[in-house]
Formats: sequence, C-alpha cells, structure tokens
Amino acid sequence: MKLLKYSLLLTMLVISGCWDRTEINDLAFVMGTALDLTDDGNILCTLQVAIPSAYSGGSSGGGGGMQEKHFIISAEGKNGNDIHRLLQKESSRRLFFSHRSIVLISERLAKHGIQDTLDIFTHDPRNRLKTYIMLVKGGDAKTILQMKYPLKQIPIEAVKEIEGSGDDLAVTLRDFYISLLTEGLNPVIGVIEPAINVNEMQRQASFRFTGAAAFKNLKLSGLLDERETLGYMWVTDKLKFSRLTAKLPEGNGEVGIMLTHADRKIITQIQQESVKFKIVLDGQGSLVENNSSLNISEPKDLKIMKEALEDASKRLVEDILFKIQKKYKVDCVGFGQEVYKNNPELWTTLKDKWEGQFPETDIQVEVNLTIKGAGMVNSTLELQEKENDE
Amino acid sequence: MKWLNRVKLFKSYNNKSQNQPFLEEDRGFVFTSDIDQNESMLKEEFQYCADVVCRRIEGQLNDEHWLIVYIDNLIDKKTLEEYVVKPMISNIVTDKFPLEITNHSTKVADAVRDILEGHVAILTADKNNVMTVAIPGSPKRSLEEPSSEPVIRGPKDGFIEQISTNLSLIRSRLKTSKLKVEYMTLGELSKTRIAIIYLWGFAKESLVDEVRSRLKPIQLDGVLDSGNIEEYIEDQPFSPFPQIHSTERPDVVVGELLEGKVSILVDTSPFALIVPATFWTGLQASEDYYIRWPVATFVRWIRFLFINFAILAPPLYVAITTFHQEMIPTNLVLSIAASREAVPFPAVLEALLIEVIFEALREAGIRLPKQMGQAISIVGGLVIGQAAVQAGFISAPVVIIVSITGISAFTIPRYSFANGIRLLRFPMLVLAGTMGLYGIVLGFLGIMLHVTNLRSFGVLYFSPVSPYKWTAFKDVFIRMPIWAKAALSMKSRQEQGEGE
Repeated sequence: MKLLKYSLLLTMLVISGCWDRTEINDLAFVMGTALDLTDDGNILCTLQVAIPSAYSGGSSGGGGGMQEKHFIISAEGKNGNDIHRLLQKESSRRLFFSHRSIVLISERLAKHGIQDTLDIFTHDPRNRLKTYIMLVKGGDAKTILQMKYPLKQIPIEAVKEIEGSGDDLAVTLRDFYISLLTEGLNPVIGVIEPAINVNEMQRQASFRFTGAAAFKNLKLSGLLDERETLGYMWVTDKLKFSRLTAKLPEGNGEVGIMLTHADRKIITQIQQESVKFKIVLDGQGSLVENNSSLNISEPKDLKIMKEALEDASKRLVEDILFKIQKKYKVDCVGFGQEVYKNNPELWTTLKDKWEGQFPETDIQVEVNLTIKGAGMVNSTLELQEKENDE
Repeated sequence: MKWLNRVKLFKSYNNKSQNQPFLEEDRGFVFTSDIDQNESMLKEEFQYCADVVCRRIEGQLNDEHWLIVYIDNLIDKKTLEEYVVKPMISNIVTDKFPLEITNHSTKVADAVRDILEGHVAILTADKNNVMTVAIPGSPKRSLEEPSSEPVIRGPKDGFIEQISTNLSLIRSRLKTSKLKVEYMTLGELSKTRIAIIYLWGFAKESLVDEVRSRLKPIQLDGVLDSGNIEEYIEDQPFSPFPQIHSTERPDVVVGELLEGKVSILVDTSPFALIVPATFWTGLQASEDYYIRWPVATFVRWIRFLFINFAILAPPLYVAITTFHQEMIPTNLVLSIAASREAVPFPAVLEALLIEVIFEALREAGIRLPKQMGQAISIVGGLVIGQAAVQAGFISAPVVIIVSITGISAFTIPRYSFANGIRLLRFPMLVLAGTMGLYGIVLGFLGIMLHVTNLRSFGVLYFSPVSPYKWTAFKDVFIRMPIWAKAALSMKSRQEQGEGE
C-alpha cells in the first residue's frame, strides 16, 4: 500500500510536471500592441517587444545607453488567431503577452468596428484584462509604438504610467468589457495622440493624452476633447482629483481650484413612461490661483469665486452631456443603467427604444463646491501691493 | 613475520576470551586472602593493558603490605601518593584513608569495574576484600562558551565532556531536592553513564517512565555522544525534523526542566538531550528570555519569516521564473530576463547547482582549520559569486536568492533543527522546478502533514498551534513578559495540583 502511494506520487511528478516550463530567457515580452486597419480591410497588428539584454545591470549598461531597448514586429491578417501565428513566426522566443501594458487601436479601425479584433483578448487566457485599451487619434496606431520616450526604457511603459496616475481616463480591457456588457451603458476609452515636437535642437517624437472616445455597438461614435473628458469623468464618478478654472464675472481675472474630492450622484425621476435625471456633483478643493482683484479673505468675494467655479463646472458638464446626447447620441454615462437599477421592469420596455429616447431625455445638473483652503497667500500679490501703496 | 606474530598474539588473546571469560562480567569470582593470587588474577584480567598499574607497597615498620591497582591516566597521581601511598609506607594507617571509600567488596568483578572507572583498588595482605577509592584525575576541559549556541546576553558557560561537571552546572542553578537525577549505564564496552534529570512535580510521571523505558533496552557497544542515544529513542527516525533537542547550554536545560521536560545527560558528551521537543521550541533561542520581551518577540517574528525563506525562497524563485512569469512585476521580469540572458542552464539546475556549492562551502568551512576559514570565504564568496556571474554561468538573482536562503538557515537557533530545514530545500526545489507553484503547494502540504503528525514522546510536534492551546500560544508567536509567563505557569501548576 505504501509503495503504491509513493509510486502514485512519483507518477504525478513525471506526468504532470515540466510540460509548461519555459525559461524566462526563452520568452519575448510583449509590451504593447497596436492594431491598425489596412487598406484592403485586414488588421495590421504591431507588437513592441522588450530586449532584456539591453537591461543588463545598471552599472555595465552605462556605455550601452544607445542600445535599443525594444524592437517591433508586425503581421497582417484577418483575425487575431492568424495574426498571432504569423507574429510568432517572426520571433525566435515565445511571445508572452502577460506583461503587455497597452492595446492601441487606430481611429480608422475603431470607426470600422472592433468586434473582430477584440474577441481574441477575451478568449485567450494569456492576455491580461488589466491591460489598458486606448484609441490613437489621427494616423496609425503603430506610430505610438515606434516613438521614444526619455524617462522610460520601454516607451509604452510611460503610457501605462500616465494611465495609472489617475489624471486621465484609464480604461482597461476589463473595464471596457464590463461597460460593454452592462445594460444601458456604452464604453468609453482613453485617447492618445502622437505629438511631434518640432524642436530643432532635439527632434523628439512624443505622445499626448487627448480626451476620450465613445463607442457604440463596438464602433467609434465620437471623440471627446480634454475638457469634455474631465466633465465626463466627473459625471461617471471616475474623477479623483483635478484642476478647475473659472473666469470671474467681476474683478477681471480667473480663479483656479485644485479638486481633492469629487463625488457625483444621479437622481432618477421616473414618471410613467418618461424618465428625468438630476446629476448632483460635489467637489472639494483648495484655491490655488487667483488672478483677479478679489480678496479671498472677504466672504463676499469668496462667494463670488465659488459661484463662478460652480457655474464653470456646470457648463463643463452640460457641454459634455449635450455632446453625447445630441451630437453622438450615445449613452456612455450610464443613464440607462440608472433606470435599470431603479426600475428593471421599466427598463425592459425602455431598452429597445432607449437609443432614440436618450437624446431627448431631460438631464439637470447641480454643482456644489466647497473651498477648503485658500492656499498660502490669502489674497493676490497685486492686491497686497495696492494696499501698500495706499 | 612480525606481522604474523602479532596475529598470533591476538589469536591467543581471543582464545583466552573464549575459554576464560573476563572477570568484569560478574561470574561470582571472589578474592582470596592470598595477595599473590589476587594480584595474578587481576594481572591476567588486565593482560596487555599497559596503562593498568599494579603496585606492591610495603610498610616501613612492620611487614604489612598492600597491592594498589589503578589505571595510570585516570587518577590524580599526586593525591594518590599523598593520601594513599605515604600513609601506607609510614604505617600511619592500616585500612583507613583520609579519602572517600567508594566500595568495600570481596568480588573481583566490583574491583575490576571500579578500576575501569578510574578508581584505585587497594588490596591488603591476608584480607580477602578490596577497597576502592575515587581519586579522579582524568583530563578535563575548562568551561567554555558553547560554540554551537552563542549568545550575546546570558550565561556563557557550556557543558563539557564530564557528566559530573555538567550535573554540577545544573544543580547550581536548581538548588532543590525536587531535582531528581537517575543514573544508568549504557554501552557494552563504553559503560557510559547516563543521567535522567527531571523536576519532581513538574515533569509528568508518565513522561519519566517513557524515557526510562526507551533508554533501558538500548544495546550498543559504545556511546560516543548523546547523538547515539538520540537516534535510539526518537519517535520517527525517518523524519528530517529532530524530535529531541540537544543543547550545550545548562541554562537551556534548566529552563526546559522548569517547563516539565526531561533531560538526558550522557557522560563524554557536552550535548544534553531534552524531551519532548516541539517545532516551536526549535525556533526559540535561550537569549529570547534574557532580552526584553518586545525585542525578543520581534526577533522571533524575524525567525518565522526566515524559516519560510529557508525552505521556500529558491523554490519560489524557480517556480515563478519558469512557470509563472506573469506574476512578476514588469520591470523585475525584464531585469531577471536580462540577467538570465547568457545563462546556459535552466533555472532549476542553476539553483540546485548553487545550493549544492553553498552546502559544500559550508561543510568545508566546518572541516577546515580555523586559520583557513577566511580563505574559504574569499574563494567561496568572491570567486564563485562574482566570477561565475560575470562569466555568465549563473545569474545574479540566483546567487542573491541562495545567499538569502543561506543566511535564513542560520537564524534558526537550534543547530539540528536548522539541519532538517536545510535538507527540505532540495526536494522542494525539485518540485518547484517540475511543477511550479503547484509543486511547492504539494511539497508544503506534505511537510505540514508530516509535521502535524509527528510526535515527540507523546507530545504532538506542532503543538500548541495544532492542536491549538491558547495559554501556550502566548509563548509561541510572542515572547510574553517573564512575569506574565511566570504567573501563568504558576497558575497552571496550581490547577494541575487541584486536578490531581
């Protein structure tokens, strides 16, 4: 009996072991993927693959600063599986996707529809759902992968870092699929744009985050600019911190606030067949800039500033709501989802006509800001000088 | 031909042993009143024993004479001359000596046994009995700090090879008649004295009985060290974990005795055995109880952490880098990949190689003369570490991991326990290299199953964690303040007393 037990254990070692063993130096670490649409309707997939030997040691790598830290391979195909097979033929090491930080989709492909391209990410377990997905505005997605970035050894890691910072809209594949499958919600992803700094001294290609892209039925329906994205993030409760500025009605200047807390509440008012929404936005922050002649230490002036900021915020949010309602006609904030949560039965009847009804829905916005602090100086420098003169 | 002679001689010796049995085995031989006959009897017994001295001493005044027999190197000659020979010659005494007389007997076997133990046998003419006096004078090491369990704060004396000294070290710490010492002799030829020590009322009667009954049937020719005894009485000889603690420190023995454990001292061995032992006492150093408790608790946690490292660090590295690369942060995976770029071996082999080299270095470090120690550390550390990495034979992370593991094993205070842990690393490494994290989980499960099933003298090895006992828990994961612990043990003893 004992012999049997031990021999069973041993067989387990022999049978189950080793089959998926891969040495770390037999892997090609894919850092980023760019998906483009070719002229003949195929998908062009470009991969950025890290070159580990370029990393060897901080000390010995001093002279090898010029060495490329990554290389690029690409393949064209009809579907993800084919492309993967072709890509693997280009790499002596097994392509390893778990460390990929970002998937880039060109604007052209997004307009064409991404249902064919995205499926492989859901089925293949080697893909990480925490990978960020981004749309590349204008031009090919692969240009982003070809760019250099001075602060990071793998340029695409920089994109990941900016995404992770919370300043911009960061959407992972997982978030994308969740919003795709949620009732009454359309997905939105971040947008990146190649920015060529035409500086004679140092010609450097770089990139910039420029807002968000709204999808409907896995097709791009429209882009939101940076300002609108800020409003969108606030409305969808994704805003953690940000900076707001407002022009003051009097006092001839602008005032700036740094938001440290942002909150939103959507109140759904259901009457018979019609649905109305009220968005209540709460914000908390401290004053960081005051270019006007108003005095912060005056409660009266402070109130003016606060109202100006609230107005500006309200306009910010109303602008984005107008855009998605009237222009793009896509419910990417999730008002439908609010209906579904509040009244699932109503939603079953509303579901099919929501696309038509959403642009006509009445949405009210209310902003409450709290100014917590006024910074280090209680009034503007100019004001101080004037007081001294008097 | 000389060689042949020697063989013959040996043969004749052997013949004797077959025909004429040795007198030390008691066969009822008694001394006669003829001193010459007695002498020849003893001389025959100690044939070819060049170190046994038979001296005839004659009194100066009358013609009384004595025969003294002793082993040359086991007694103190000066005392012998002063207190035995001189009084005899000057006829001050006839049969009284200012020395403790250990034995008065007529049996030859008694005399032989005493002589072998280092006593002096005194036979008086015309008397058929023998006196033996103890004049111990065998070489003795002075008390030193135990080399295997050094402490910074705490007593620095350690056991030596004489059981009498060792017992005195314990006795001086426990001045109570409750401290019981039972002698027994083990070893057909070595006749090593063994002492079972326990505190009356502290140690359970059943435990003491168990120790006695396990020691009694031991049959071996020679006991060279308490390690020989340990192997006979441990519960599970095939376990890598030691189920009996051995220590060189009298304070450890006393501490354990106070907790109701039983200690076994073996003559000629500076290591005392303590039973029962648990997994957790293997992680407790005596110094824990001499430094302040918050620090001691912290140090204990460090040990818990590093005992895990000692078993798991290389297997985890191997498993994660060969099976689960997605678990490593991106930047780290790239630098590990970079360092492995030129390495020709798979990670398992690499780790095994370095582990084996490290073990060899360690073994060499123990065996080498002290003066060579530094040379070995330079060759081992610099040449193997630096050069092998630079040459690309092995990768730097593996060297780092193995070094951490090496250090980890040394945080375990008990030497024999650390040895067991070291041994477990290799099967774990193979499991990790073949099955990844799954293998590690299997291996760890196996270890846990084994450890929780193991017993030491009736006590479960993993207690008090499994089976769980809260009161004892307080001395496992934290080191309770001494006053709290004292109060607790006082209370539990009272309860026990009431229960009985």
